[in-house]
Amino acid sequence: MTLTPEIIAILMLDALFLFFALIAFVLSLRILFKWDIRSTQPLQYALEKQSYLVSVIIKYIFVLKLPLFLFYIFTCNKLSNIITGAMCASGVVNSVDFGLYLMVFKIINLYLFGFWLLLNNADMKDELSPFVRMKFLFFVIAFIPLLLEIILEISFFASLNISKIVSCCGTLFSLTSASYLSLLFKVDSSLLVGLFYFFGLMVLLGYILKNIPVFIFANLMYVLFSLIALIVFFSTYVYELPTHHCPFCLLQQEYYGVGYLLYISLFVGTFYGFCGGILEMVTHKGHTKFFKISLFFNAFYLGLVSLYPVAYYLKNGVWL
Amino acid sequence: MKSKMNFLLLEYAINAILRRGKKNIFILLIFSMLVFLLSSVLFISDSIKLELNSVVKSLPEITLQRFVAGKQSDVSLSRAEELLSIEGVKSAIPRIWGYYYFKVAGVNFSVVGIDAFEDQYKESLQKIVDSVDVGVLEKNSGMIVGEGVKKVLEENYYKDFFNFVTAEGKWKKVTIAGVFSSDISLEANDMILLPKNTAYEIFGMDKKMATDIVVKVSNPKEIPMIVSKINLLFPDMRAITKDDIRVSYQNIFDYKSGFFLSLFLICAFTFFIIIYDKTSGLSSQEKKEIGILKAVGWSMDDIIKEKFYESFIISFCAFIMGLCAALFFVYFLQAPLLRDIFMGYSKLKPDFILPFSFNVEMLCLLFLLSVPIYIAATLIPSWKASTLDADEVMR
Amino acid sequence: MIKLSHIHKIFTQGNTEVVALSDISLHVKDGEFTVLKGASGSGKSTVLSLIAGLSRPSSGEVLVEGKAISKLPDNFSALFRRENIGFIFQKYNLIPTLSVRDNIILPLIPQNPSEEVLTHSVNHVMEKFSIAHKADMLVKNLSGGEQQRVAIARALINKPKIILADEPTANLDAKLSNELIAILKQLKEENTTIIVATHDPLFFDLDFVDAQVEMKNGKIV
Repeated sequence: MTLTPEIIAILMLDALFLFFALIAFVLSLRILFKWDIRSTQPLQYALEKQSYLVSVIIKYIFVLKLPLFLFYIFTCNKLSNIITGAMCASGVVNSVDFGLYLMVFKIINLYLFGFWLLLNNADMKDELSPFVRMKFLFFVIAFIPLLLEIILEISFFASLNISKIVSCCGTLFSLTSASYLSLLFKVDSSLLVGLFYFFGLMVLLGYILKNIPVFIFANLMYVLFSLIALIVFFSTYVYELPTHHCPFCLLQQEYYGVGYLLYISLFVGTFYGFCGGILEMVTHKGHTKFFKISLFFNAFYLGLVSLYPVAYYLKNGVWL
Repeated sequence: MKSKMNFLLLEYAINAILRRGKKNIFILLIFSMLVFLLSSVLFISDSIKLELNSVVKSLPEITLQRFVAGKQSDVSLSRAEELLSIEGVKSAIPRIWGYYYFKVAGVNFSVVGIDAFEDQYKESLQKIVDSVDVGVLEKNSGMIVGEGVKKVLEENYYKDFFNFVTAEGKWKKVTIAGVFSSDISLEANDMILLPKNTAYEIFGMDKKMATDIVVKVSNPKEIPMIVSKINLLFPDMRAITKDDIRVSYQNIFDYKSGFFLSLFLICAFTFFIIIYDKTSGLSSQEKKEIGILKAVGWSMDDIIKEKFYESFIISFCAFIMGLCAALFFVYFLQAPLLRDIFMGYSKLKPDFILPFSFNVEMLCLLFLLSVPIYIAATLIPSWKASTLDADEVMR
Repeated sequence: MIKLSHIHKIFTQGNTEVVALSDISLHVKDGEFTVLKGASGSGKSTVLSLIAGLSRPSSGEVLVEGKAISKLPDNFSALFRRENIGFIFQKYNLIPTLSVRDNIILPLIPQNPSEEVLTHSVNHVMEKFSIAHKADMLVKNLSGGEQQRVAIARALINKPKIILADEPTANLDAKLSNELIAILKQLKEENTTIIVATHDPLFFDLDFVDAQVEMKNGKIV
């Protein structure tokens, strides 16, 4: 166990989240089982008041989770200085078996909590509060991945061992690696990049046709293949090195923090596409504004990421 | 996030804070004190880490120490020659150095032997050696000393010379031929440079031995390989690489600041309770105000938002105040009292200037450690206030 | 239009239940001036707070302007209150350490109006009740009459369709009471629905009162 100031900060906030999320969880369960909009009993009035507390707590957690996610990556980057063999965050993340799962849960939770807020917003805008049960049921379910994330995070920092030698990103993201990531490199990269553009087009198509299921599906696949194409193909052009595939090194200062721009636009784009789409299916109300935001950020990501190979080709006259 | 900032509400919140000045000033002061302590500790440890890192950068890639029965002991000079035969080794320099305890002042000096015809193991030292004539030093039995040493000696009336007590218990008079200041002040402050022969005499060492050997390599990537070869050649020698030292420094200071943070957490928890208590105890005037606001058409959300603005303003102000105070305290006043805890070396060492080190990451860290706690402590009280029944004020 | 049908309101204090209202039905048409008479504790204030959506009945239905206000979620009932209802309390219920202007704009703050809209409406009511020259003074430094005008200005800034007054003359001398009644009469002429809860005999024989309802122990007599 290493207690750097950054780790203590993260653990402290985890403890706060856990405390408040537990309160929200208990209240949500009560609301879920006892809610009766027609009742005029004091219990119902109390529940209505408590539902505000739940939404305040979730807002608090979500608003802090966004910057905290970036802070977590930064902390891993910094830890790579003291962990032998790690050159960037990826080495640290992978130094523990479940490091990657922790990462995945962190991302999923951002989507879940964000979606809860969208749903809450839609609910508050309607005099009949039609989604009360749905949103509290959703939180009761979303509480589980949050709990898992916090448990994983605590055990992640507890089992970080500074004397253990870990692999650097060079070996993690390569053909020779034993992990399932290496499978990706066996597939022809032009196929993966093709799929990335294909789903990009599908997002646009879904938007033009106003077909919500297509739009949701396309966004889901888009975020998946964006990351794959980024690791397999585009990152090499950012680094201008045919063998460097790391998705974390993008965040370092040498590349002007372009990673932050890429990941944030990808998250915002697919968040509004995916969650906005589901919201529309649930509420049966148009959320064109969300789709426009989604389209804009997805296109921004696509353009930015495509710029690197093109610029490289123009400069050097060859592909990597 | 959907609507633009409500400045009227913000104005109302500022007004509300000012109207309850006494209570809020109390909270503001305690909280900024907390932020101040926290930032000072982190600034000092970061600053020392920076200083040490620049020291580490100039260190040799590998330092070899000989261990006999678990204790460090002298190395034969001939081993330096043998090391050169290992492929990849650029140079192997034997060092003669040690600590000299000056009883009267109760401090340790680092005594380093130098030789005119030998390369020094690091650049800063080489510069100092180049600037003096070692031959002359040897002839006159002179030494050059760091600024800190000079100061301590002067305090004890040694103006131009110093009497060492050698290992045999004899006096050895050495004149002070010069004073150097080094850009890397942390280690140079307590250093005494004198010719190797004098050093041998003071330490009572065999002239065929050295304290340790430093090895430079051509390609840093080969270090692990070379270390394993050295281990084969001389099993009684322990190799310490630059990386080892860097990591252990970082650990020491992370550990120290971690220790402080753990204490801080206890303070923060106490503070959390105080804030919770302060904000949940509403005066009848405050209750009446909330009732009025509800009667004129404020929703629970509006009241919670207003309370959030209040706590954000207070905590953010306290954060900025504590931060500025800490910057002033650490870098302008050089952190009296607090830095001693972090140094823990001999009395001489603290006499260096904490280099300025401040970045966005540090700012984020401090922010995350302070403001969210405050806001968390006010979450439930704010909500409770917003649920007050408005019809009570109508009676 | 305000319509209360078969309202019961029970408070629980510890283990004992207190019946505040039992089987109240009331119908007030648009533009009517109604006086709720009764001793203190008879349940008049509770009726007003039910109409404003500040509290909720234990059973029965409250319809205001066609909306079941007691069924609305908090943010909607607040919105409804803001847009449709003006309150005049006994003792004014102003925030003493805020300026006149800041007190009057309180109902506008949640909707975050633009600077022009805000200035226009606040200046309008301040001129109407001739307190514009004291706009930046703290309320606690005003005379009783001025404070009353500030309270009324605050109640009217959103041009509400309904005015609810709870013992408005309880702490006023005869002169101020008459001033208030003059203002209420003017509002009545502008077709505002007004309900006054009071036990002040001054209201009992005014010529413009449309209905008088007497309450006793939570019941309409």
